[in-house]
Amino acid sequence: MNNRHAFKLLSKTTLIYLVFTFFAFSASAVLLMRNTDRFIDKEIEGYFRYYEHRVQKLLRMDRQLQDIERHAFVVSIEATEPAEFVPVYRDTLILNAETEARQPYRIKTLVIREEDQAYLVSLRRNSEDFEKLKEMIFGALIQVFIGLALVIVLFNTLLSGHFFQPFNRILQQMKSYKVGTAASPQPVRTNTVEFIRMQQLFTRMVERIEGDYRNLKEYTEHMAHELQTPLTVMRSKMESLIADTQVMRRHHSAVKILSDEITHLSKLGTTLNLLTKIENQEFNRSERIVTQPVIERHVEAIHELVALKSLTIEADLDKDHTLVIDPFLLDIVLKNLLRNAISYGTPNGPIRIVTFADTLEVSNYGAPLSFPAEKLFERFSHHNGLRASLGLGLSLVKKVCEVSGIEIGYVYRDGQHVFSLSSV
Amino acid sequence: MKLLLVEDNAILAADLQSFLQENRFVTEHAATLAEAREKLNDYEYDLAIIDIGLPDGSGLELVADIRNQRLPIAILILTARDAVEDKVTGLESGADDYLTKPFHLAELNARIRSIIRRSRFDRSNMVEAGKISVDTLASEAWVGDKRLNLTRKEYDLLLYFMVNENRLLTRESIVEHLWGDHIDQADSFDFLYNHIKNLRKKIVQAGGGNPIRAMYAMGYKFIRTD
Repeated sequence: MNNRHAFKLLSKTTLIYLVFTFFAFSASAVLLMRNTDRFIDKEIEGYFRYYEHRVQKLLRMDRQLQDIERHAFVVSIEATEPAEFVPVYRDTLILNAETEARQPYRIKTLVIREEDQAYLVSLRRNSEDFEKLKEMIFGALIQVFIGLALVIVLFNTLLSGHFFQPFNRILQQMKSYKVGTAASPQPVRTNTVEFIRMQQLFTRMVERIEGDYRNLKEYTEHMAHELQTPLTVMRSKMESLIADTQVMRRHHSAVKILSDEITHLSKLGTTLNLLTKIENQEFNRSERIVTQPVIERHVEAIHELVALKSLTIEADLDKDHTLVIDPFLLDIVLKNLLRNAISYGTPNGPIRIVTFADTLEVSNYGAPLSFPAEKLFERFSHHNGLRASLGLGLSLVKKVCEVSGIEIGYVYRDGQHVFSLSSV
Repeated sequence: MKLLLVEDNAILAADLQSFLQENRFVTEHAATLAEAREKLNDYEYDLAIIDIGLPDGSGLELVADIRNQRLPIAILILTARDAVEDKVTGLESGADDYLTKPFHLAELNARIRSIIRRSRFDRSNMVEAGKISVDTLASEAWVGDKRLNLTRKEYDLLLYFMVNENRLLTRESIVEHLWGDHIDQADSFDFLYNHIKNLRKKIVQAGGGNPIRAMYAMGYKFIRTD
């Protein structure tokens, strides 16, 4: 799965919500501004009407227009078709002589006819207040939007922990779930439908996995167990044949093959059973073990074998070196690593078993591998072609390391195969 | 020497019984826990060979019974399970030794002999075959009055041969007896060959002749020389 562009669900919804709010606000801002403009236009138009009226009235009465010259400027013109003169509006800035500030004005220019004389009337209205009103409304809108956005973000951040707590706890349960622990997951209290459904699903899944696992385990155990008795019978019959001189004289090669195969089968059963037990973590009496005496015991047990194969073994052991592991599993690891070293070691140099700091190394001389190193720990790789070798030894070692939290490494250096175990 | 064999598999029980009788043990058989309890009540035995998986319960219950009643019986358990727990509980509950199925008959014989030697019923620590004798208490081997200078494994090998006199021992059985699973079968035969060569040489040099014969490329047989 590509996680590079992954976001939290809540961040995503927050973002989408913010974008949506932004568009909603923009739309309402446009609407509001348009209404405000309409209102302002109407207000100003009312004002203009009033003064138009007054200008007309003053002209009719032939009175001085000085009284209203602040609002209207009137000149007489000669117009042939005054009726066609449509009033013109424009917004402009006019310098205020007192404050020396430019102020916004709206100007309406129109033609008024009084008797036979036409007048060009220019009415004006200071629109500064209206502009300010618009700015205020716009400002208020932005403030409300920012406020709302902040509230949304804050709300989501603060409440996400609360709302998503059951979700996170279910996730935690999933993360810490191990096959074979048997116990159903602890119910997480929530009234969120989605989480309830998720929890039900997880519980059902765990039950199903546990059921399958139990069946498989029982099957494996029964298989391994029930196989041993027939194998014992076969072996004891075989031994009766072997004890019979007449049979042996005539059929010894067939008896030998049968005997070898029975041995192979029973070893296979035992080892696979052991592997399954390790996988099932049935060996869990881990303790901190000082490795020196254990390794010395193993070296002692095999030193005759080593000598018979014209090999030598050297142990360089740190008396403080320890491993946290089940004692039985440590025996399996050492036995298999040493057995491997004896099987494949060449007399170019000694088999070495060294401990230092957190590391235990077992090495033997030999030709480089003829296959990729990753295959070394696979079951039944049979790269050596030796029938009598089960091909399970190193995979046992790897499995033990996995369940014991020990890192296993392999390198080929200076003509030696080096296996190293280090505490993680 | 009287043995009680508690094993539910009829074929295996019959085979074991005839094997044990061949080895001069008086053997009685019980197929269930109940039957075994009855026999233990009615008769006296020196050794009980008990399979753990029985149809009406665990053989370990029987071990506990015997020990609780303080009966002077040595106990060897047979287990089909390779689980360490079984072995540990078996030995903790008072068994003298255990054997994992499938086992070699020669191994069973060696274990029985070893238990008997350790038990108070047979005070002799000497195993003898012709000129060769082994003192199991001192872990020493002799040809006539000449003491053999054997390594630990050579000594084990000789003793295994002597308790299984005249019986063809497969190489697998010998290797398993000597080294357990410390070794791959593939490598083991060379080791065994070398071991046997060395042991033979020492016996021949001490004037014991050659009692260890290779048979059909399958294994070896110990035949006493006089």
